[in-house]
Amino acid sequence: MSLDLAIRLTEILLSIALIQQSLEHVFGLRDERVHYFVRLVLSVLLLVGIQPQWVCVALFINALFILRRFQGPYNGGSDLLSVLLITCLCAVHLMPSAQWQEYVFGYLALQVVFSYFKSGWAKVIYRDWRSGQALRDVFAFSVYPVSEATREWATQPRLLWAMSWAVILLELLFPLAMLSPEALAAGLTLAMAFHVANFVMFGFNRFVWVWAAAYPSLIWLQARLDLLG
Amino acid sequence: MAIPNLLKLLLPALFPSWRFFDVIGPSPRVELCLTDNPENDEAVWRECRPRPAQLRFRDRLTGFFWNARWNETLYLTNCAERFIQGQEEHASREIRRRLRSDLLRAEGEGDGGNIPAFFRFRLVFVSRDDDSLRRDVAFVSPPYQTVDPLDR
Repeated sequence: MSLDLAIRLTEILLSIALIQQSLEHVFGLRDERVHYFVRLVLSVLLLVGIQPQWVCVALFINALFILRRFQGPYNGGSDLLSVLLITCLCAVHLMPSAQWQEYVFGYLALQVVFSYFKSGWAKVIYRDWRSGQALRDVFAFSVYPVSEATREWATQPRLLWAMSWAVILLELLFPLAMLSPEALAAGLTLAMAFHVANFVMFGFNRFVWVWAAAYPSLIWLQARLDLLG
Repeated sequence: MAIPNLLKLLLPALFPSWRFFDVIGPSPRVELCLTDNPENDEAVWRECRPRPAQLRFRDRLTGFFWNARWNETLYLTNCAERFIQGQEEHASREIRRRLRSDLLRAEGEGDGGNIPAFFRFRLVFVSRDDDSLRRDVAFVSPPYQTVDPLDR
């Protein structure tokens, strides 16, 4: 995948994710609606491909206003990755040469790999994660389970032990997906299934949209690394 | 906009820690009570936005595209955590305004005519204590007016 195609695909997928986020704020408090209305308009422009360089700069400024409005991310990691994607797209368009564009997009891809690996590392070093207790706690008393029926999963310790290790291994081994196009296809499929499962159990819908928007950078970086031999 | 403050907000996005769910600590709940008398200390507390018993397939499917209410509920609990970490003014205002919005929405017309004149909220943290769960009340707010056009 060429860098130009990866950038354009990222713009399209990110604009869809941002439109989805913005629509969720249509009935929000008055002082947040205005920021998301601006984001909605800018995202449609980005989707269509009108003046993407200036639209990305405007989206970056809009992201700063939203960070200020909520004094941090509204939706945790999905907002953080949204801001990272907006910032990298903005920087890519402002870079003086293709080489610098590659550095920026490479940084984005690296952070996406880290989003899995560091998360897996943060889990595997804790005994509660290795024993399955942490995931039992998530279901038993955290705020995340979407229904009381989902909470009942806490009563399945063996299943949760297996799920804990499945998550840890997926996250820790994700960097190996960069070794070949086939490995990356498998890695992205498993990772997307993981995000969808998180949505089904914990309602994290925005994570699915935003992480999907970051995948073209991985596909581009993997092909670039292959070219380097 | 103060630049240092903006940088403080932006840097975690540019250099994220990516430590999702590493330690499962005490989990916040926002609880609410309504009263007509702000001096009344005998409050009946109820959980704000309790989760449903079950979600239908159709609700899940819709939620993939439109999950505004749930995401706002997660934000409320995030505000509860931020409150305890010191962002008291901002977090308290966010919780207060959203609870007020809930109350007026529940009332239907938005004029608050039939609901008690005041509400309070409290932050409860649930954690594991060996094999059982414990609940600790970390904060109880003063009474706020249910209808306050200047704070919506």
